[in-house]
Amino acid sequence: MLQAQFLRSNTFRWTSAVAGLFAAFIVVLFGFIYFNIDSYLVDRSDRLIDTQIAFLASLPFEHSVNAIEDHLRQDNRGVQFSGLFDSSGKRLAGNLDQLPNDFKLGAPPQNVRVKQSGGGQPVDKLIRATARRLGNGNIVLVGRDVDETWEISHVVGEALALGLLPALCFCLLAGAWLSLRAQRRVEEVNQRVQRIIAGDLRERLPHRDVDEPFSRLAGIVNGMLNEMETMINALSGVGNDIAHELRTPLTRARLMLERGRSNATSLEQLQETTDKAIAGIDQALSIVTALLRLADIENSRRFAAFGDVLIPDLLRQVCDIYEPIAEDKQIALSVRISGNLEVRGDRDLLFEAIVNLVDNAVKFTPEGGSVMIELAHTEKGGVVRVTDTGPGIPRAETEAVLRRFYRSDKVRYTPGIGLGLNLVAAIVKLHGCRLLIHPGPGGCVEILCPGRQLDKSAKTSAVSRAA
Amino acid sequence: MHMTKVLLIEDDNETAEEISAELTGRGFEVEWSADGFDGLDKARSLRPDAMIVDRLLPGMDGLAIVDTLRKDQVRTPVLVLSALGAVNDRVRGLRMGGDDYLTKPFAVVELVARIEALLRRPVETRETILRVGELELDLIERKVRRGDRSIDLLPREFRLLEYMMRRSDQLLTRAMLLEEVWNYKFVPTTNLVDVHMGRLRHKVDGPGEAAMIHNVRGAGFILRTVG
Repeated sequence: MLQAQFLRSNTFRWTSAVAGLFAAFIVVLFGFIYFNIDSYLVDRSDRLIDTQIAFLASLPFEHSVNAIEDHLRQDNRGVQFSGLFDSSGKRLAGNLDQLPNDFKLGAPPQNVRVKQSGGGQPVDKLIRATARRLGNGNIVLVGRDVDETWEISHVVGEALALGLLPALCFCLLAGAWLSLRAQRRVEEVNQRVQRIIAGDLRERLPHRDVDEPFSRLAGIVNGMLNEMETMINALSGVGNDIAHELRTPLTRARLMLERGRSNATSLEQLQETTDKAIAGIDQALSIVTALLRLADIENSRRFAAFGDVLIPDLLRQVCDIYEPIAEDKQIALSVRISGNLEVRGDRDLLFEAIVNLVDNAVKFTPEGGSVMIELAHTEKGGVVRVTDTGPGIPRAETEAVLRRFYRSDKVRYTPGIGLGLNLVAAIVKLHGCRLLIHPGPGGCVEILCPGRQLDKSAKTSAVSRAA
Repeated sequence: MHMTKVLLIEDDNETAEEISAELTGRGFEVEWSADGFDGLDKARSLRPDAMIVDRLLPGMDGLAIVDTLRKDQVRTPVLVLSALGAVNDRVRGLRMGGDDYLTKPFAVVELVARIEALLRRPVETRETILRVGELELDLIERKVRRGDRSIDLLPREFRLLEYMMRRSDQLLTRAMLLEEVWNYKFVPTTNLVDVHMGRLRHKVDGPGEAAMIHNVRGAGFILRTVG
């Protein structure tokens, strides 16, 4: 399968195409060189022929016979042809038996087929030749074998064969090798990926320390896999946490029901235990609901419900709602608005986020303390700040509090399900804002909203109600 | 006397039986339909006083039923039930013509309270003074009296009392109060409602007076007409 596949692979096809194109280009180049050399040689021999015939024609008859013999004798390559014929065409001197038929006299050198009986076998050759009639009626012919050009074409052909064919083969082989190699890499990656799919999350793609695309890609994918492994591990941790958090109220409910069933002696007692059991189940349900909401907010892009939300109004509302609760706990709750801030967002979600922060602050601040809700402006944008005089979050825990179900040991016995800040973080992130948790003592959580703020110059209004 | 007819469109047998039994026990006549098309037929032929519609139904989506009815100018109040808790679904449910939306799982008390609230939706009166027993609330003057005694309320307390007086002798659950009075779309962990209600009750039910605001255990609150 693998062998057949590489022929169809893109790499191989491209290499073949490029090799073919390259070969065609080389053939054209060689052809061009060949034809140029050929015409140059023919030109040169034509000029020699012209010079020679002019020389022979200028000689007196007796000298011309000798000159032809001399000329032929000097030609050891056997490329010269010449002859002196009388007006009837009979040979007087030279190496040609007869004047070629239909030979035009006085014309420039032309291709002509000649017969030569000379030494041994008769030769039939195509030569360039010219002839002219002399003053005494004789005809002198001078020719030259241009078979040299055939030799040149032979050399060119050989050069092509010797140079081009191996190059072409090399190209094809290289293409095949590259595509096979790529295929093998893909196959290797595939096997690793299959192992990852099968559940081996620690598997990574093969990565060599060289700067080539495959390795870089593998590096990128491995980075992603690292991130995902961490996330999945965290997620399974969350799964355990959820199971644990749900088991506690459910166990309690089960215990109540069991005890009520065997111990209750009156309807009132049974109702009482049932109520307690229902409270346990409700707690479990509220955890599930909170988790679903969290997932809903984290995963959705609910921009459809977005509108312009005036933060000062929101803060005043939250303060209004929480005032009686703070008063019950002897906590001074105040709101301080500086300037104005309008955020593009979901009013209900923003409200929920701020309620959560204030709820936490009121819950964790001891009696007699104070909680402040503030809207301030920094150069980075508007800041909603909730501060309290409670213990705050220790520096070591400022990140941990954003983990699901995380509750600081100090507040282990305060009611809550440990998802509030997760929810706030998710909402804040959805709005493109940042949640800043400052370490204690004294709680201080900020929502930093980059961007728009309205009439910053508006006078600072402070509403403060003490318990 | 005319019995109030409620059409329940719900495909889960057990849930349907539970709801049906509870409503019948409270004097409602309950018609049950287990799939969407049948439900729509019954909604047209039986002319119920209120409907409870599950969102995910075989045959036809619950919201599609409501939408179809609304296009036919049928104004029957509808309570939409759903296992989908997402806030967007809730918004969609209400936008498609549902009058109220309840997420599964829910307490049966909650469901009954909401159905009763839907059936007895306060009539929009031009009356600017609300009266429940000896309690009197002036919407223009923003003043409240109980008999001869004038009651001084904060704006948020006024809002709460107004809501309760428009729905006197009706069970109001915490979730309903949170949604309607404080505009909460979620249930907070703190007992907000109880604290606010405690304040209001302290002012409305003075020492020596008969209690008007009653706490119904595990359910919510009722403003009762005394005597």
